[in-house]
This record gives sequence, structure tokens and C-alpha cells, in this order.
Amino acid sequence: MSNIRRLVLDTLKPHEPSIIELAKSISDLEGIAAVNISIYEIDRKVENAKITIEGENVLYPLVLDIITDMGGTVHSVDEVVAGSKIIDDASTLQD
Amino acid sequence: MKHRISDLLQQFHQYGKLANVAEIARRYFAMNAFDGALTMIGVLMGNFTAGVDTPRIVVSTGLATSVAMGISGLWGAYLTEAAERKREITEISEQVLIDLHDTRIGKASRFAVAVVAVVDGISPALAALIILSPFFIADLFGQIQFVYFSALGMALLSLFALGAFLGTVSKENVFLYGLRTVVAGLVSIGISYLLGAPGE
Repeated sequence: MSNIRRLVLDTLKPHEPSIIELAKSISDLEGIAAVNISIYEIDRKVENAKITIEGENVLYPLVLDIITDMGGTVHSVDEVVAGSKIIDDASTLQD
Repeated sequence: MKHRISDLLQQFHQYGKLANVAEIARRYFAMNAFDGALTMIGVLMGNFTAGVDTPRIVVSTGLATSVAMGISGLWGAYLTEAAERKREITEISEQVLIDLHDTRIGKASRFAVAVVAVVDGISPALAALIILSPFFIADLFGQIQFVYFSALGMALLSLFALGAFLGTVSKENVFLYGLRTVVAGLVSIGISYLLGAPGE
């Protein structure tokens, strides 16, 4: 079975723990090379974060555990790249 | 074993940061130690003006008051803090649509409640015991009046120390802050004396 190499998640999380702690915790997982988290919307109690994870073998259940442990939820999985290398989505005339 | 204790302490540190425990615990500590000190001044002045000259009576009254203050602090803080934290967690839960009880936030919240309750319980009791301490060694003083004066002196010193602590926290003049809290003690002593002084 091939590995997931990139995941892009749309999440909702409380302000604390901060995205710094979240990024550190996710990047500490085995098989993960890098994590990018950006906030695109802030509310009084919560914030929307886009989480991009790349690595040799990104294990989604473990990532989900960490996000949930920090009080967050995954709204949607916006992008997945699996296989032996990372590729971007191909552009088409419709784009 | 050492590793597990270190991990546990690190976890508590994380929970403390997450739940902002330090600030709340400091506030409760100062407030309740102040309460404890002034309450004990009241107990001492009540006994003094009533002419109680047996240290054992003052110690019994004082200890009972310390225990009551400790229980009041612990219980009150536990119920209040638990209610506030639960409300906050519920608000966030409604936004993220998950049960936060077993998450880091839920655990940090329960940790904060426990810490704050213990601080709130211990601080007035500790202040009271410190003030009462001359009465535990009353035999060394000779006259009972000296024991009272020493205990009241301890009370004013404790109040000054508390004020100085608050001055350090707020980065203001430590001495002036200490004086402010001492004034409260002096006012309490003065009014208690006038209320209890025998009529002419």
C-alpha cells in the first residue's frame, strides 16, 4: 500500500492551544517532514486553520488524534497526495 | 520513574499555560491570604478585648477559624471555578461540535480547578496559622499581652509581605504596596479595639 505524502486539511480549533503548539505536535509524528498552518478566519472563541502536512508517510488517524486532542475538528480534507512522489493537480482548460 | 515524574511535571506545566492557571492562582492567593490575615486579626482582637488570657482558648478559636476559612476557600473556589470553566468549555464545544472533556483543553480545565481550589483553601489557613504561631509558644513570652502583640505584629508583617508581593506582581513600588495592606490591618485593629473596649 502506498503512503500519503501530502494532506491539506480545513480545520476549526479553539484559540488555545495555539497553532505553534499544534504544528510542533503534528511535526513530531513519525513520517512527517513539515507542517504549515495558516489562519484564514478568526472568531471570538475559535479560528479556522488550513493545515498542510508533507512527509514520507503521513498517517491521517494520528494527525486527527492530535487535532482532536487540542480541541479542533477537521471540516474537510481538501487535498491528498499519495504515492511515491508529490504531484500538484494538473491544470485544465476549465481552470 | 524519574522520567515519568518529569513527563508529568511537563504535562502540568502545559496545562497550567493552557488554562492560564498562574494568574488566577496568584489572584486567589493574594485575596484569600488577605482575608485570612484580617479574619485572624478579628479573632485576636475579639479575644484580647474580651480579656481572654489563656493561650489554649485563643489557639482553639484560631484553629477552628483557620479550618473554616480553608474549607470555605477550597469549596467555594472549587464550585466557582468548576462552573466558570464548564461554561467556557461548553461554549467552545458548541463551536467546534465535539466533546472536549477528554481533550487537552478539558484536562487543563480540570487541572486548573484543582490547583485554584487548593490555593484558595490553603492561603487563608496558612496566613491564619502564621499569625497564630506566637500562641503555640506562649510559655516563652511570660505575659499574655506580649503574645497578643507578637501575633498582631505577625499579622501586620504578613499583610506587608502580601502587599509587597502584589507590588512585585504589578511592578509598582513594593514598599508603598506593602504599606497599603498594613493600613487595612491597622484600621481593623483600631476599630475592633474600640468596639470591644470596656466602657468607662
